[in-house]
Amino acid sequence: MYVKVNHLGVLARAVRNVSRRKMRTFLVIIALGFSMAIMISIPAGIMANQEAAQSLTENFNSTISTMQEEITKSTTLIECRASSGQGMRSGMPSGMPTYGFGQEEVFINETVGDEIRTIEGVKDVVPFLQKSSEETTSETLSTPRGSFTISRPLYTITGVCLNSTFIDDYSILPTNITGRNLCEEDSGVLLMSLNLSEYYGVGVGGKVEIYGESFTVVGIYNSTGQGVTGARTVYMNITDAQTVTGQIGNVSRFDVYAENASYVDGIAEVIKAAYPDLYVTTYEDRLANLQNMQTMYTTTLNNAESTLSQTQTIATQEIIIAIVATSLIVLFVMLYTVRERTREIGILKAIGFSNLNVMSQFMLEGILISLMAGVVGIAIGSIGAPFLSSLLLPHISLFGGSSGRFRPSFGSANLGTTGSEAASVALNPELMLLAFGVAVLLGALGSLYPAWRASRTSPMEALRYE
Amino acid sequence: MSELVLETEKLDKVYKLGGRQVRALSDVNLQVKKGDFISIMGPSGSGKTTLLNMLGCLDKPTYGKVILDSVNITKVPEKGLFKIRKHKVGFVFQTFNLMPYLNAIENVELPMEGTKKSGDEKRKRARELLKLVGLSEREEHRQHRLSAGEQQRVAIARALANNPAIILADEPTGNLDSKTGHEIIRLLGKLNIDQGTTIVMVTHDSLIASRAGRMLFLSDGKLQAKEKQGTHLLKRELTCPNCGREIQPDDTFCPRCGKKL
Repeated sequence: MYVKVNHLGVLARAVRNVSRRKMRTFLVIIALGFSMAIMISIPAGIMANQEAAQSLTENFNSTISTMQEEITKSTTLIECRASSGQGMRSGMPSGMPTYGFGQEEVFINETVGDEIRTIEGVKDVVPFLQKSSEETTSETLSTPRGSFTISRPLYTITGVCLNSTFIDDYSILPTNITGRNLCEEDSGVLLMSLNLSEYYGVGVGGKVEIYGESFTVVGIYNSTGQGVTGARTVYMNITDAQTVTGQIGNVSRFDVYAENASYVDGIAEVIKAAYPDLYVTTYEDRLANLQNMQTMYTTTLNNAESTLSQTQTIATQEIIIAIVATSLIVLFVMLYTVRERTREIGILKAIGFSNLNVMSQFMLEGILISLMAGVVGIAIGSIGAPFLSSLLLPHISLFGGSSGRFRPSFGSANLGTTGSEAASVALNPELMLLAFGVAVLLGALGSLYPAWRASRTSPMEALRYE
Repeated sequence: MSELVLETEKLDKVYKLGGRQVRALSDVNLQVKKGDFISIMGPSGSGKTTLLNMLGCLDKPTYGKVILDSVNITKVPEKGLFKIRKHKVGFVFQTFNLMPYLNAIENVELPMEGTKKSGDEKRKRARELLKLVGLSEREEHRQHRLSAGEQQRVAIARALANNPAIILADEPTGNLDSKTGHEIIRLLGKLNIDQGTTIVMVTHDSLIASRAGRMLFLSDGKLQAKEKQGTHLLKRELTCPNCGREIQPDDTFCPRCGKKL
């Protein structure tokens, strides 16, 4: 590259000097660029983690209070879930169907409900059938450790017994509906979440196929603001649900309502004794579960905060190392350049260049290289920030380590829980500007001593240098 | 009496080499008048370059003084010497010392950086100087596209850029073949006659030294008392030494008798 200029100045000379040693300049720019990329990726990663932690905390707190309200309202509710008899299940409030991702879906004969209804003190038994869709969706989770794709069922079918008493008394259907809600005698119709309707591109009155059967959408409920998880559930008559899913005569849950709170413990004991395969929870169990959840969350959050704090320390150290490395690269390269161009310095001084002239030329060259490295660094950082930050920062496990082991997946429905641990690393303009500032500073800093040395070179000695 | 451009008084230079003292110059008294073309001749190691470095503010004497254009440069602090080098001295080196990344005209402009001249004025002056040294057609050529003689011409033009009081030439023909060397000496002589440029040249080549107006001899750091009148190129060229007829300054061969000059 030959920079042709009308009047040659110190800047044009610096550009030419930088450009005439292409390979060296290229290697230095790449090396510095990586250092710059590290400098900008790490803070971006830290910020992303902080934002993710903050967002999770806010979501969790909001969900906990929603759950608490639901639990408080349902003191007479005894939940009986079909269970394979293994493992704990988190307690869910009434009317909140759950989808235990990765768990086996278990069903129980609906006649069990009739038997439970005969127990003394039982007011009502409300059956539910929940079944995952056969259609799946792939979602990409981007975390500080990188991105990975998971496959989830597209939606959950929730079959509800459309008894008007149940609808009126027990909040078995969602609220905030566009169109109309389900009502007694409804068949061949369904209620679906807004995000699901957007996915299918259907509105109220439209038709969708569920397990190969055509259903009319009568209502769309707004699934936002209903907990951490994005809800994607299809509500329909339980009979329709049993038919389409091939679970005729089966249900997955009974919500048993006692006449009053004093019967709850007795009823629960009788059910547990009679049906060991049912997982039974009362108001107190659910409250205890909620408290456990809070404790667990607090512990994991504390751990995460501690990890975050350690990460910040490590990040600071890494940034310092990157800054020192960058300065040293500039320093050594410029020292080498000064040594290599000793004779040139001698000539410049012999023809009347002052120490300041010589110094400014070498400093300018160092700054130029660093500026170019800044641009390269931003380019590398923009593309590789997630990778670099995951490579350089320890894994921040915000909720107990492996994703999905404990995921606060409660809410009115729970497909699409992406992002509970997602920390998307993005560079903001301030960081880029800062990178440029740092680049100029380091270029100036790294070339300061070599430039000073160049300026102090005796012209006579320099002219003798071979 | 002509105006003195350069004067040294009892100039001494002692170096320390490996714990022992080496006297590179001893009691050098030199007077250079405006318009002089002086050659200082001496064998290798006689102190020629050391003397030239003292005269051009590249080095300071251990003792004695150097007065350049009425300024005692030995008293000028190190930080102020660059101004003298820029405005009062023009260097011509044996190895040309052009900047390889600059073309001919940019090399000539280089010493003018930091002067009050505008960009256009610098370019104009550089063009004039390149024309003066016969390189108008080579303005845009960089070092690697110029012959050795052309490079030295560019170096001479660069030395003249700030219209210095004196040109100091250190073995200016040392890296050139005989023919090109004579061309360069002819150019220096022409500048001396036409422009009145004061030139001090050091060389170990007696033939080259003899082409100056005045020949001085340096031996073991001491300027010898004997001094010779040189056969100044242009003075010699006024008549052919073979046929005595009038010749032109740039002639290599006599146009009358055809013999080499």
